[in-house]
Amino acid sequence: MIAFAAAIALSALILLIMTRLFAGPTLHDRALAANAIVMKAVLICAALAAAAGEDAWADTAITLLLGSFVTHAAALKFFAAGTFQAPMTSESERD
Amino acid sequence: MRPLALLLAAVGLLFVAAGLVVTAGGVIGLLRFPDFYTRLHALRVGDGLGAVLLLIGLALVSGDGAVALRLLLVAAFVIALGPSLSLACSCCLGSGELRGAGFWWGRFRWRPA
Repeated sequence: MIAFAAAIALSALILLIMTRLFAGPTLHDRALAANAIVMKAVLICAALAAAAGEDAWADTAITLLLGSFVTHAAALKFFAAGTFQAPMTSESERD
Repeated sequence: MRPLALLLAAVGLLFVAAGLVVTAGGVIGLLRFPDFYTRLHALRVGDGLGAVLLLIGLALVSGDGAVALRLLLVAAFVIALGPSLSLACSCCLGSGELRGAGFWWGRFRWRPA
């Protein structure tokens, strides 16, 4: 019962974050809001795992979390470079 | 056995309520703050504390050992991955109007191949 109430509250939070997703001024805001939505989906999956007592929901939560991390990092690289095929260099402060 | 389950449910309810409050605070900060960096700060701090509290509470509420262990694993992943991603957002990977602050050894850049 507690877990179901937490899942309902988290879905209400997803509806709040979607306003920032559609109204964000920059691309980074939209990426941050999208990552926050996936984060709340992870928490909903965890709540359903605790409510149903099944392992599959917890595995879904782990997979969604790792996938959201990789996707956000790839989106940041695409915003900066315009392509996924760019190597990363470090420009020194001295020169 | 029965009072132990009741105690676990009560403590789990406290943790879940605290995690929901902190997470909702982070979301309100994401909606209300004026700048990208302040929004990032609010969301990451709110998620990093609130999600871990919520997951600990859910692990206490669920009576299953395997589910509780996996929820604690999710909490460990949140602790490990959230700050690194916020660091990547703020320091290294900025572009356009958000260039990022960089570190003391310089600023990372993507060189187009």
